[in-house]
Amino acid sequence: MRQINSLQQALLILLLFLPVSVLAEAELRTLEIGDEAEVDIRVFKSDGDKLLLGFACDEGQSVAEEFTAESLAEDGVEVWMPDMLGGYMLPKTRSSIYSIPSEGLYRVMEEAMETGKKVFLIASGPDTELVLRVANEWEAKHDGAAGLAGVVLMFPRLNEGKPEPGKEPEYVEAVGKTKEVPLLLLEGERTPNRWGVKHLTAALAASGSHVHAKVIPDVRGYFFKRQDANMPEEVVTTQLAGLIKASLFFLGRTDS
Amino acid sequence: MKKLLILLLLVFTLPAVAGLKPYEGEGPTPPLKLVDMQGNTHDLAAYKGKVVLVQFWATYCPPCREEMPSMNRLMEKMGDTPFVILAVNMGETMEEVEPFVKEVGPEFPILMDPDGESIGAWQVFAAPSNFVVGADGKIHYTLFGGVEWDDEEIVTRLKELSGS
Repeated sequence: MRQINSLQQALLILLLFLPVSVLAEAELRTLEIGDEAEVDIRVFKSDGDKLLLGFACDEGQSVAEEFTAESLAEDGVEVWMPDMLGGYMLPKTRSSIYSIPSEGLYRVMEEAMETGKKVFLIASGPDTELVLRVANEWEAKHDGAAGLAGVVLMFPRLNEGKPEPGKEPEYVEAVGKTKEVPLLLLEGERTPNRWGVKHLTAALAASGSHVHAKVIPDVRGYFFKRQDANMPEEVVTTQLAGLIKASLFFLGRTDS
Repeated sequence: MKKLLILLLLVFTLPAVAGLKPYEGEGPTPPLKLVDMQGNTHDLAAYKGKVVLVQFWATYCPPCREEMPSMNRLMEKMGDTPFVILAVNMGETMEEVEPFVKEVGPEFPILMDPDGESIGAWQVFAAPSNFVVGADGKIHYTLFGGVEWDDEEIVTRLKELSGS
């Protein structure tokens, strides 16, 4: 056990001191998203055929996400990180996500599709509501998934209101509308929400989407954003790029 | 007049202290039969005639950790009232639970549910989730989220339910 801990510590130290030059650097693009609004997108370019669009609301806030994006780009997955909150001049708070119009991210997605790559959406926590909304609109306007290869929902928080003990949860309107685009749900083992994964999976699949769920052992929700992350959470954070890449591979196989 | 207005404003803007909600679910009370940390089996059916607070909690849930000392104080305030607490841990191991239990020293049994069987049966999707079962064996109140369990309003309501 002590040997494993030493290995984990060595891995962390190695990653912390990894020279920045070996990782792909982001280029900043600005895109008009209507009504004179513009969104800045950090693009981590890659030659691979997959494009991951997401981490919608963490502009400048999450070092782990940026590091993960760099790693993914090095590994063949292009990553676009739009600052949707900045684009609509909304405060960087969790509740702001519900004020983001779908049209903005939809416009970014159209631009991503222009690359000819397979486009995947990704979000965590309450941000998952926005990507589901956009996926729904995409399907509605294109009569199917039409190039949208999948959506990764990390620790989705999609409940409508507070949960009530003894009652099945109710979800926000965006849940259960997608028909073709495959969805992958990731949840931490050490969170009460893991007990709702089965129910949420069924709700998300209500209109036909294939939905897969994976519980990540030994971590709490938002583990990669936590100031008080423990050793297993730090280790999984360093492996986040691999976890996401595996998720995209899995979604690619179930793409209908 | 101004003082009266401020007082009225304060009274009407204070959050509900107790937070106990009348149970709106249907059907009979789900069964609950689990083993505590000492290896003793607790069957909810055996507590008929007493008010039972069934709580679903976990060590990784901050409000659960915060409120547990107040549950000890609630036990004290309930005195001779026929009342018990059954705190069901949500799927953790003994190794994960023991350090916290040693720190807090709950005066009530901690039931272990490693496979989450009762969690499904009781429709628990978040923590802490609480159910107040009356002496008649029926669920009367639920409460989601952390509270100070020794709050006078809660104590009064629980005593009323027991008929004391």
